[in-house]
Amino acid sequence: MGKKLKQIAIYGKGGIGKSTTTSNLSAALSSLGYKVMQFGCDPKADSTNTLRGGSYIPTVLDTLREKGAVKARDVIYEGFNGICCVESGGPAPGVGCAGRGIITAVELFKQQKIFEELDLDCVIYDVLGDVVCGGFAMPIREGIARHVFTVSSADFMSVYASNNLFKGIKKYSNSGGALLGGIVANSMNAGYSRDIVDDFAERTQTRIVQYVPRSITVTQCELKGKTVIEAAPDSEQARVYMELAERVAAHEESRTPAPLELRELQAWAAKWSDKLLELETGTVPGGQAAGI
Amino acid sequence: MKESPFHDKPRTSCALGGALAAISALPDVIPIIHAATGCGGNLMNSVAFGAGYLGSSYCSGSAAPTSAVTETEIVFGGAERLREQIASTLKLIEGKLYVVATGCMTEMIGDDAGGAVSEFAEAGAPVLAISTPSFQGDCYAGYEILLDGIFNRWLRGVGAGASKPDPRLINVFGVVPGYDPFFRGDLEEIERIGARLGLKVNSFFSPSQTFDNITAAPAAALNVIFSRTRCRGFAERFAEKHGVPWWATDLPVGPEATDVFIRELAAKLGIGGAERVVAAENEWYYRYFERTADSYADGELRFYSVTVTNSNYALPLNKYLYRELGWTPAEIFVTDRLDEARRADLLAGFAELPVKPRFVSGSQEIARSIDRGRPVYRGQRYFDALTPLYIVGSTLEKQMALRRGAKYLAVSFPAYDRAIVAGGYAGYRGGLRLYEDLIGSFMAAKG
Repeated sequence: MGKKLKQIAIYGKGGIGKSTTTSNLSAALSSLGYKVMQFGCDPKADSTNTLRGGSYIPTVLDTLREKGAVKARDVIYEGFNGICCVESGGPAPGVGCAGRGIITAVELFKQQKIFEELDLDCVIYDVLGDVVCGGFAMPIREGIARHVFTVSSADFMSVYASNNLFKGIKKYSNSGGALLGGIVANSMNAGYSRDIVDDFAERTQTRIVQYVPRSITVTQCELKGKTVIEAAPDSEQARVYMELAERVAAHEESRTPAPLELRELQAWAAKWSDKLLELETGTVPGGQAAGI
Repeated sequence: MKESPFHDKPRTSCALGGALAAISALPDVIPIIHAATGCGGNLMNSVAFGAGYLGSSYCSGSAAPTSAVTETEIVFGGAERLREQIASTLKLIEGKLYVVATGCMTEMIGDDAGGAVSEFAEAGAPVLAISTPSFQGDCYAGYEILLDGIFNRWLRGVGAGASKPDPRLINVFGVVPGYDPFFRGDLEEIERIGARLGLKVNSFFSPSQTFDNITAAPAAALNVIFSRTRCRGFAERFAEKHGVPWWATDLPVGPEATDVFIRELAAKLGIGGAERVVAAENEWYYRYFERTADSYADGELRFYSVTVTNSNYALPLNKYLYRELGWTPAEIFVTDRLDEARRADLLAGFAELPVKPRFVSGSQEIARSIDRGRPVYRGQRYFDALTPLYIVGSTLEKQMALRRGAKYLAVSFPAYDRAIVAGGYAGYRGGLRLYEDLIGSFMAAKG
């Protein structure tokens, strides 16, 4: 009986905690007994670091550049708990097309039927940034990944990037592209931040899959080159990621989001800015409780 | 071949296409295409067949050197491949100037063509890079980008050792090789008229020109721009760099427009002799033209005219049809992409014509515009016949003309149902040639 491979793409603004979330999700899924591949789609090639004790692995594109031809096995490295780690890598800064690089890497695996051969349950693409060029949209097009999760904080630029991604998903939704699974709300500490992402999710007709608080545990584990799941499996943060993994594993149905137009988004941001100011100045009560 | 309801054939190409067509007409200038495989060949076919079978020249067309980048270069960058191509081209192909022209893909992946070229330029090789992806504009933009590269960047100024200013030398720009299919004939007529005024004319792109015309350009007394919509920026920068003033006017077609052109040109340059040239040329012109009067009048060779051309040719052509032949303009379609300011510049020239141009490039929309409210005769008692109709456009208008029973001549790009070699419609000789072609094309059905 062939099992159904679940392919997921994680998007979000740079620096928002995508790779941290992805690695912990991979580690948690693997702890739940799933066979997982984590595919870093970022020229920085540091997506899988914490799955491999902080060490970098040769990227698909570096290998391709040196050898001219690549066997998929040459670029798949084993990480924590048997997770298959891959980094697409990118060209030298300023030249070449990183998006094209991702396409090349993915095509290579498809051609060599690696997903089938490795008997994977789940492939997670950790994709850089918001959708800025067609290449980065590759995992959500052409039926590669079926589900997209976006990592977002309550920070406006992060919400903006998520909204942009939603536009991309909507654009490809009619041509067999991936649909949106939901938002992983990251760095959820201040009381108002939850309200902001909740409001954004409601406005764009999507949902929050998990609220991940900012945690010193994550920092400590990352400094050791490990995920929370590996280094602090009994921590509260690990429980949060395990819960996320269970939800992702059980997730079946993704939907087309309803992104806001730029003007709507600006108006939305302005409304929240006013509200935060009121909390701060004490015009409305509850500022202190909300962490302001 | 039927009119397709869905597909359209282009009336233009990308900036790279315009630059390549222009380079192919410059003596001793060699293109080095830095683009994907296929760009050079496809763009070559565009003018080699679409511009009245213009064909290609030494190391142009399908013989043009190209980096022909493929996926590896797209992923990792193509600058190294370009360096290799420049080096081998310099070694194998003789030329006086090598122009690296980029395409969309190499621009999108951030290849530094300028950087690669400067390494060779610093070593003394005559190489220059121009940025000509399609997102810089169409073929007309590409022509201007090439001019900017050669004249405003590569050429040294007069002060830097070039020849001394020559009050009887003019440069001519604005006529776009290939996409103005009669560029050679038109430019040669301007050269001839200039010579009659005692001027030397750098037209650069006609077969009578050499590379020396390019290097002599900064010494000119005036840049004449035969376009109301193109080359303004280029001419401004040329004036800044080389101190040559510029004058934008229309390509003169027929005696009336050419008389005006000669007088204005002489006034601009402060030279005499205009009236003598005008008188002699008119004498010559009308000794031919008077003999057409019998067939023209008795044959009732007057038509409603519909023209479909780029912005350069729209006004000169319509002025000739309206003022010289007495035809009635019904529609004037201008097919190149123009912003609002350029449209306004062009529209200003149409004040004396009864019809204003419309800015449409799709063949279907052009056909619909002509048909709208003017049904083809099917036994109706009264209807706006728009007949006899003459469509002067590109070959893309041929099927529409046949369907409407209209006379038809291809004068604009793409023109692939006729051969264009030395012919042109500019000036006095061009005016007669245009008459010959307009009338001759349908007289060919006789006998």
